[in-house]
Amino acid sequence: MKSLMQLPPTAISTETTLYNKTGSWRNFRPVYKNRLPPCNNTCPSCEKIQGYIDLLNQSTILSNLRKAWDLLTANNPFPAICGRVCFHPCEESCNRNDYDEPIGIRHIERFIGDAGLNNSFKWKFPGINKAYKIAIIGGGPAGLACAYHLRRLGYQSTIFESDDRLGGLLTQGIPSYRLPQNIVRAEINRIIKSGIKVRLNTRIGKNYDFEKLISKYNAIFIAIGAHRERKLNIAGEDNPSVIPAFRLLYNLSRKRKINIGYRVGIIGGGNAAMDAARSVLRAGKKPIIIYRRTENEMPAITDEIHEAKEEGIEFIFLAAPERIIIRNNKIVALECIRMKLGPADKSGRRKPIPIRNSNFQVKLDTIIPAIGEEVDTSFLPDFLRTGDNKIKVSDNGISTIKRGIFAGGDAVTGPKTIVEALGAGKKSANLIHHYLKKKTLASAETEKQVAFEELNMAYFEHQPRTQPSKLVLSKRLHSFREVSQGYDIKQVSHESNRCFSCGVCNKCDNCFVFCPDMSVVKKNGKYEYNYDYCKGCAICVVECPRNAIALIEEEK
Amino acid sequence: MKEVISGNHAVSYGAMLSRAQVISAYPITPQTQIVEMLSEFCRTGQLKAKFIKVESEHSALAACIGASIAGARAFTATSAQGLALMHELIHWAANGRLPLVMADVNRSMAPGWSIWTDQNDSLSQRDTGWLQLYCESNQEVVDSIIQAYRIAETISLPVMVVLDAFVLSHTSEAVDIPSIKLVDKFLPPYRPKYKMDLNHPLAFGALVTPDYNFELKYKIQEAMEQGLITAQKVDKEFKRFFGRSYGIIEPYKCNGAEIILVTSGTITSTTRDVIDELRKQNEKIGLLKIRLFRPFPAEAVVKVLEDCKKVAVIDRNIGYGVGGIFCQEIKASFCNYRKRPQIFGYITGIGGRDVTPDTIKEIIQHSRKNNKADNKINYIGLRK
Repeated sequence: MKSLMQLPPTAISTETTLYNKTGSWRNFRPVYKNRLPPCNNTCPSCEKIQGYIDLLNQSTILSNLRKAWDLLTANNPFPAICGRVCFHPCEESCNRNDYDEPIGIRHIERFIGDAGLNNSFKWKFPGINKAYKIAIIGGGPAGLACAYHLRRLGYQSTIFESDDRLGGLLTQGIPSYRLPQNIVRAEINRIIKSGIKVRLNTRIGKNYDFEKLISKYNAIFIAIGAHRERKLNIAGEDNPSVIPAFRLLYNLSRKRKINIGYRVGIIGGGNAAMDAARSVLRAGKKPIIIYRRTENEMPAITDEIHEAKEEGIEFIFLAAPERIIIRNNKIVALECIRMKLGPADKSGRRKPIPIRNSNFQVKLDTIIPAIGEEVDTSFLPDFLRTGDNKIKVSDNGISTIKRGIFAGGDAVTGPKTIVEALGAGKKSANLIHHYLKKKTLASAETEKQVAFEELNMAYFEHQPRTQPSKLVLSKRLHSFREVSQGYDIKQVSHESNRCFSCGVCNKCDNCFVFCPDMSVVKKNGKYEYNYDYCKGCAICVVECPRNAIALIEEEK
Repeated sequence: MKEVISGNHAVSYGAMLSRAQVISAYPITPQTQIVEMLSEFCRTGQLKAKFIKVESEHSALAACIGASIAGARAFTATSAQGLALMHELIHWAANGRLPLVMADVNRSMAPGWSIWTDQNDSLSQRDTGWLQLYCESNQEVVDSIIQAYRIAETISLPVMVVLDAFVLSHTSEAVDIPSIKLVDKFLPPYRPKYKMDLNHPLAFGALVTPDYNFELKYKIQEAMEQGLITAQKVDKEFKRFFGRSYGIIEPYKCNGAEIILVTSGTITSTTRDVIDELRKQNEKIGLLKIRLFRPFPAEAVVKVLEDCKKVAVIDRNIGYGVGGIFCQEIKASFCNYRKRPQIFGYITGIGGRDVTPDTIKEIIQHSRKNNKADNKINYIGLRK
């Protein structure tokens, strides 16, 4: 026992308490475990979105651009393209929707993509394995993505493209005020230069025999897209002034002159309808969009609808075409019938129902149906076709009934989106790789994405989404100059900083700061638990803003 | 340099000149001006201190305790309910042997809600291990804050400097503000023997079994006894530096006095004037000012009072169920002495009611009239 003299003035221990391994008291163990952010989960091209945003959410943003570009393009070779025209399901699923507004992911992607082009970033791929020949039918997004991902895996493929240039919808359909063609060319050329063979103006079934393809190549990927125009099925449809949207946009992309008169009716509510209408406006004509439901049900990207309205385009909602009125072989008007909305249909949207005797006429010179396309499967053998004119595939969505033949993109799904086609291309490249190596692809475990309720909002302030500047309206109306100006570096930095980093540790130090037992240790830029002293109080678990720490019951 | 400043600002100057390094407080009238000015000193850079905003007085003192453990000189100020809310940590600070300094602006405890002065707030903290200094003037306030740090850091106990609401806190008078160079010499930086240091880990405030805790409490009392001597030494040294001293008690015109009045706080200066007036009329009357209430300077008090016939203790407080608290202390000081005066207890000025020269004269008259004191409480100025 110490004497009175030996005692300190107050309850101070000059010994350490390290002998007391309080970890033995623990019933639950915290474990660092990165989870699946909703953006990553919902990207059809499996982009590591949280990852590249995190790289930009740092003071070293400029030097991190290359890393961010590498991470992004590991899954998607076209960030500058998708950063402009993707329908961004990532933003719809962003947990920030439940708090204020979603992260401007697409604009961030565009910034990274443009940086890649401006700095001429290039990939380093493995040497080409000459043992295998792979044919890709169709040089649209799905085909290009497949070729790219095969090249990453060390294979060289040959793309057979029926048109005079690669790109599919990217070079044939989307107007340049949305997607400048120099961007498309640059991103496509970059992957082609990495070691991909291309045969343009080669239509399988016309210039090249499908059977021959099967005999000469070890694997075939069919990505022919959906190009056959769907019919309105109304009287007068065969008049030459009925020009399907796809054909109109194609001709515009080739700078071909087309006579469309002045009043142009566009039928439909998807992106093609918006593209057609806004292109017609830029040609100095009067576009009128006729859609059978209301604005709420329109499948086009919301921004496109807003911009079309900003530009003063007229909309006629709840109207369906009934017949085309023609005099002297010239269109004079479109007769429509008024619709009302009924209960929701299979697509989840409310179904339009015609109102009897409500017919009315819209004076028009030209009619542009923009009601979608079908797949032209005529060159394929029957066993590869479905009843509704698509390509028949197995449950994985890619493999056909014949070994070595794969298919993806719009040709399988019907008209969908660019990013879904890119995703299909990536998936098929992987399947082809496994097929050639005679391996089976392990099915990935399905992981639950992080829900908003699992995040700790105490650490986030409400902040509005950063809006990129737009071309002024007066400059838009008569030119095809790009409308959205994208983010500058400050905006990218600010917007990246809004990211919750759902379920993924971004080294915010909260666990380190809050641990009452100093059991969170920093090692090699990562955190570790010192389980000798961690009591399992779970303060770190609760205070982690992004739910990247799991709590596991100890086995006793 | 002389300036006309309020008692509250005298406190701020005292803390600033003492180079307090951490200030944490929560606003409460009549104290608020103290920390307002200190935050201003921090803003202008006149004081290089960390100003910690908190959500309660409890946290304010907790922040100061943490700062003090880490080796910083810390300061806080409060009043009434704020002081009561600190109570748990007031014990903590003393038991932790931390040399904090706090200004308490005496304010009557609520309800009924009041912002005016009486001493019940500070006196209800008398057994917590804090030293208590009661001030009479704004000059004494600024000087006492500086002295308080010297005393506190010498004996490792916290010190409370007490001043009356409004009568001092919001009343301006000329104050000679000490030069900071001189204060730096008088009050060197705080160098604790033990402090929280990441490179030399120590555990603070741990569990203590019955094997040792008795001894730790004993050491607080030992330090208090030391504090009685230290407070006098520091006051003497202060005079050497700054030419002013106050003593731990101050007898005023007690020579040959038959009646001695005992006061604290601002009642002292009122009483001084009455004494001056009556002495001119050759009345044998004197005054004893108690400045240091904890530790209680019993021996010194007895020495001053033992030769007079009557002692009139004026309390601006009430120990419910007993009487005036200063009166109790003085009676207790005499209880083992054979030779002792008649000790009269007066309670006046509760809840901030004015204590005027007439109040003091009424007390003198009462004690003059009665030859024997008893345990009865004598209320002066109470409504009939």
